[in-house]
Amino acid sequence: MQSLPISLAAPGMVLAKAVKTEDGKVLCGPGVELTAELINRLSKSGIHVAIVKGHPIHMPDEKSLAELIKELEARFERVKDDPVLRALMRVIAEHMIEQSKM
Amino acid sequence: MEEKDQNQKRQEVRARLRYIKSLPILPPIASMLNKMVEDEEMTAVRLGAVIEKDQVLTSKLLKMVNSSFFGFPQRISTVSNAIVLLGFSVIKTLIVTSSIFDMMQSSDVGLWEHSLGCATVAGILARRRAIKNPEEVSTAGLIHDLGKVVIRAEFTKEYNEIQGMVETRRLSMMEAELECIGVAHPEIGGWLIKQWNLPDRLILPVLYHHNPEGSPEFRELSAIVHFSDILIRAIGFGSGGDLWVPPLDHQAWERIKMGKGEVKDLLNELDERIIELQDFTIQMQQTKVK
Ligand SMILES: [Fe+2]
Ligand SMILES: [Fe+2]
Repeated sequence: MQSLPISLAAPGMVLAKAVKTEDGKVLCGPGVELTAELINRLSKSGIHVAIVKGHPIHMPDEKSLAELIKELEARFERVKDDPVLRALMRVIAEHMIEQSKM
Repeated sequence: MEEKDQNQKRQEVRARLRYIKSLPILPPIASMLNKMVEDEEMTAVRLGAVIEKDQVLTSKLLKMVNSSFFGFPQRISTVSNAIVLLGFSVIKTLIVTSSIFDMMQSSDVGLWEHSLGCATVAGILARRRAIKNPEEVSTAGLIHDLGKVVIRAEFTKEYNEIQGMVETRRLSMMEAELECIGVAHPEIGGWLIKQWNLPDRLILPVLYHHNPEGSPEFRELSAIVHFSDILIRAIGFGSGGDLWVPPLDHQAWERIKMGKGEVKDLLNELDERIIELQDFTIQMQQTKVK
């Protein structure tokens, strides 16, 4: 699942989440495959982002898994003696690793 | 000597807060709301109709109640609907804090995201624990760090000092606040919120989000906000002013503890919601520019 600015959405991508207006009205349901026409219509209705399935575009500011884990450890630095929080950190790390494989 | 100093600082801060100047003023409708709710004849429909006269406020309100941090399953299309479905104290809180959050979205996006994230986790946990009115617990999460906004807006000089202490001496925000002004953000936020006549179910989790077992009542709610704050910092969404995951209160954890499987489910649900929250933040910022 990836959130893309509508300008980067391309035909063939599949919506992972409904596209909604600001006040919550659904314009397009999840599972719909984007077409050029649909993208055009959405951006004309003031939609800025679409959440699509998979991870079709690599953004330049994306962090690597190693960087993410390093930052995670830094955040836990002051509580690393707490067994509950250590366990929490481990679960989050596992989750990050699983996510990176998807 | 040192002790007396701290207490003196605390009193000074309290006195200054009585004449708070730099926070955006409450929307005019806020003072009317208290009187209206005392009126027993007042229904959600009539109350909603009064609020809806203010179009800007109404559109902001509907955006918030339909956003993913509440995670309410249906679309809410009118203010009276929102009052019926989420409860008046939630709507009132969103009204009285609307200008403060406007300010936060432009001046401190990190704290805004942290607040939204905490609200989201709190709502998920409240729902899982079958707490009635989970949106109220989300709302407590949303406003839990308002004290930080007050410090930043009203005590600019001290705020800069606090930030300096966090950076150079690697203190937590909380420690730096206590040292610098003798009182920390939960208490300051509590002082502010108490002026709005909100129920204790909302006030106590804010006051005790760093020591939930100190809460005279509603310890489960305080424990939920406490852990939500920790979790959202742990995954690194938004910013709470310093880098670190705050300490966990183990007694509070006993009240709400989860197994590994439950935490994993929570993280999965959160991943999706966070993507929506980021979009929500962009939307809120873009509507303002217009
Ligand atoms: Fe806090
Ligand atoms: Fe916080």
